[in-house]
Amino acid sequence: MPSIRILPDRVANQIAAGEVVERPQAVIKELVENALDAGATRVEVEFSHGGRSMMRVEDNGCGMSREDALLCLERHATSKIIEADDLNRLGSYGFRGEALPSIASVSRFTLQTRPQGSESGTEVLVNGGRLLHVRDCGRPVGTRIEVAQLFHPVPARRKFLKTDQTEAAHIVQCVRLYALACPGVSFTLIEDGRVLFRSPECPRLLDRVGEIFGRHFTADLVPIEVREGDMVLRGLIGKPVAARPTRHEMISFINGRPVDSRTVNYAIVESYHEYIAKGRYPMAFLFLEIDPAAVDVNVHPAKREVRFRSEPQVRSFIIRAILQRLRELGQAASPLLGAQTEPARQAEAGGVQPPGSAPVAGGAAEAAGPGGQAQGMQPAPAATVSALDAAGRVIKVPAFSAGLEAAAADRLPGAGVSSATPQQPIPSPRQAAPVLTAWRFIGLAQGSLALFEAPGGLVVLDRRSALERIWYERLLAQHGTGALAVQRLLLPSTLELDPVASALVKDRLGFVQAHGFELVEFGRNFFRIEAVPDWMEPGDAVDFIRELAGALRDGRFQGRDERVWHEEYARLASAKAVRLSQRAGEAEMLGLLRDLFLTRAPLTSPQGRATYFELSQGELARRLQI
Amino acid sequence: MKFKINRDHFANGLAQVLNVVGSKATMPILSNVLIEAEKDQISLTTTNLDLGIRCKIKAEVKEAGTVTLPVKRLASIVRELPNTDVTVDAAPNHQVKLSSGGSTFRIMGIGKEEFPPLPEFGDEKAFTLEQSELAAMLRSVSYAESQDETRYILNGVYFNFKDGKFSLVATDGRRLALMSKEMDVPAESSGSIILPAKTVSELSRLLDKGEKVKINFNERRCAFQIASNKDSSGLIDSIYLYSKVVEGNYPNYNQVIPKETHQRIKLERQLLLDCVHRAALVCSEKANQVKLKLTSNLLEITAQSPDFGEAHESMAVNYSGPDLQVAFNPTFIMDPLKALTKDEIFFEVKDEISPGVFKTLDSFVCVIMPVRLT
Ligand SMILES: Nc1ncnc2c1ncn2[C@@H]1O[C@H](COP(=O)(O)OP(=O)(O)OP(=O)(O)O)[C@@H](O)[C@H]1O
Ligand SMILES: [Mg+2]
Repeated sequence: MPSIRILPDRVANQIAAGEVVERPQAVIKELVENALDAGATRVEVEFSHGGRSMMRVEDNGCGMSREDALLCLERHATSKIIEADDLNRLGSYGFRGEALPSIASVSRFTLQTRPQGSESGTEVLVNGGRLLHVRDCGRPVGTRIEVAQLFHPVPARRKFLKTDQTEAAHIVQCVRLYALACPGVSFTLIEDGRVLFRSPECPRLLDRVGEIFGRHFTADLVPIEVREGDMVLRGLIGKPVAARPTRHEMISFINGRPVDSRTVNYAIVESYHEYIAKGRYPMAFLFLEIDPAAVDVNVHPAKREVRFRSEPQVRSFIIRAILQRLRELGQAASPLLGAQTEPARQAEAGGVQPPGSAPVAGGAAEAAGPGGQAQGMQPAPAATVSALDAAGRVIKVPAFSAGLEAAAADRLPGAGVSSATPQQPIPSPRQAAPVLTAWRFIGLAQGSLALFEAPGGLVVLDRRSALERIWYERLLAQHGTGALAVQRLLLPSTLELDPVASALVKDRLGFVQAHGFELVEFGRNFFRIEAVPDWMEPGDAVDFIRELAGALRDGRFQGRDERVWHEEYARLASAKAVRLSQRAGEAEMLGLLRDLFLTRAPLTSPQGRATYFELSQGELARRLQI
Repeated sequence: MKFKINRDHFANGLAQVLNVVGSKATMPILSNVLIEAEKDQISLTTTNLDLGIRCKIKAEVKEAGTVTLPVKRLASIVRELPNTDVTVDAAPNHQVKLSSGGSTFRIMGIGKEEFPPLPEFGDEKAFTLEQSELAAMLRSVSYAESQDETRYILNGVYFNFKDGKFSLVATDGRRLALMSKEMDVPAESSGSIILPAKTVSELSRLLDKGEKVKINFNERRCAFQIASNKDSSGLIDSIYLYSKVVEGNYPNYNQVIPKETHQRIKLERQLLLDCVHRAALVCSEKANQVKLKLTSNLLEITAQSPDFGEAHESMAVNYSGPDLQVAFNPTFIMDPLKALTKDEIFFEVKDEISPGVFKTLDSFVCVIMPVRLT
């Protein structure tokens, strides 16, 4: 048996590279992180053949001296932490001092770098971990690293690479994430000589999202910014109507680091639970800032996972923050409507704002504090309808989303963010009804639709979805107060269920009765319905009980959480409560709108369908070229 | 075809048939009225296949013939014509010239060939009733029809000729109204039909044009011949209303009418109606019930809705039974009170879960089921 030897660095690096450098995308990730850590404002990434033949990352960051340029290739050479405790205060992406030596050990690695204040740059060429040369070179301040022939010293690793296309896709996704993480840095991505995207320095995250995902995306995003203790959640969340079929647009960052955190993802999905249908996902671009000591990023070699010291605390903060925003959205509901909304949300806003900050939402007159700085404290810019200018006069914020987002961006970073009061549940709003004076009901269409002219454009309302939302919340509230009116029937309906359904219904008889049904079993699997909730047509009762039995069988009333049961019940029942009048007058239709906007989630039906959409004047003008 | 007619007679005739047009876009002819001119009258017919109406108006027919014209448009033109003398002249290509004073209209018609004829029938059960009486009876019950289209059996009024009685019944499953009258019903003629709601409303509208109305029916369809001798604006003979009936078994209503009386109070109809109506002004979709509270010689009516407020009404009554309280949907109370004409009514109650019953001295019964508040 050979005796134990210390591995030469080169071999150790190659082994480490097995962990750090799984695939070309990992190289890009490490190099981009280094560039960002170096304070670059411009990052250019180029690769060819899925990164297999060449990858290059060039930045305008601080650069390195010749000494550092050589040192950085040593194992555990890092300028970013000095002692272990620094890990708890991490402010940079890198901290191990492992990335460059690992990469250099499995590729042909060229580093060119020049620090500020130095006349010329340094070029270092390393091949498979062997230093080939160090020499002067000319280049601007910053660093350029080229990685060619990845894995050529370890041919076995090459076999594990997927097709160029797949590897390229990973690289593109990776660069997108960092571009989102740092909107203030300009990014260029080039594949095989072709520019995939080029995004200049963006003033706002929203612009960056538009650059990367397409402008049409941005209309459905609203800003969020909530602080609680030393946690801050900021970024953009999607309106419930813009739910997506996949999780691809659910992206989160923790302390600026793109991570795939189950805790965060779960919290996001959970927040939208009531707003969007099963199997659809919200859009979210969220930045969680949290005391670095409260997260552990050093659990995965590629830093893809993080662990929170207190998962429940983080989860509940995120849920509360998003829910609060969604409810605000619900009340502001429509930018169109917004243009007419009364001081609606004061009561609620008062409940969640830190003392001393002036509420601004529409309650302009009362809130006219000295100067307009109050605007920055408004937790929900989209809900803001009229704001104050510097002189305290009421100014109109443009009605449509674009304008509202602009208003959001005007906020100074760090200028008072709203704080969700911990522990306390968000007080349920009892806001004033919106004023719809300038609205006009145009007519009914397609059976279920109602058309309105609003000050800012046209609104198409789906009466069925709207009524379902209204009834859903009404039924839920009714259950909360216990005030339930039960209409006894003169002609009881009879119902036969199959043995399984019958057993399930009998098991849950108390629940069914608590919701206003009197069910009497009068023979094997036969039931007589002797009373129904007063809102229900007696003729619907049999079908409804069958549906309920079906839901029981599907296990939708299984968990221990009673609240979930009631929601499930209300969702089923709201569909039955809807009756569409064939003829409808203006007063009735405006009343319906008003009721809808008083709900907590006016944008969607309990099934997750949109209740309405708007055609702004601008949109109409654009489409009709007027 | 050519005839001369009085404008107001013509308009009146069209008004009788106007409501019955087909909704099916596949048969445009169903939005037309069939005009048949012969001798000294024209007859106007409309149908939607389930329901049809024909009336006859006197006219000076110069040339017999037929044509069909869009009924809504025609009716609005005729109403507006400047002169009481109207001439109608149809060319063989179905183009109709309508002239009155200085106005002339040319209207494109459709030939009668496509127009589905109203079925006539002979060997059915037949009864003759007073129009005013049938109208009052229909009014006393029709509000209780079910509006829920899925319960088509209940979407109408049940006509029952049986055991020396003629009864009308309507129910929506929560309340039931019954009005009956003694009548000679020969065993071979006894039978029943469910008259669809649309027919009920057309029939109610057409009644009171004369003294008698004759009803013929079998288990699939029925017809009413409504004498029009009281109408002075051109109608002659009788109006003929044809309708399909709702096929199915009407629920056994006798079974749900309480047999025993527990507490009975005599009430002044209008006074009770006014009180309930006022109290119900605070009701909402969310809280749609009024509470009746009976104590010694006092009836209190209260209503409240969480987001508005509450109402309290009281009226003196003659009552000495035990204190009791029961809640109802206010509409269920008001509907019969509005439809009846008698000043005095009786209301019977038992407790908060048993039905309330309105009665009058003639054979009217309306059973309403209470709302229980949990
Ligand atoms: N683009 C760059 N511009 C300036 N300095 C750089 C650049 N890339 C690397 N460095 C320097 O080289 C050092 C080593 O980089 P390397 O990526 O190997 O380690 P790290 O970033 O400190 O930690 P990690 O292994 O976690 O990435 C860094 O600490 C930094 O000082
Ligand atoms: Mg690094």
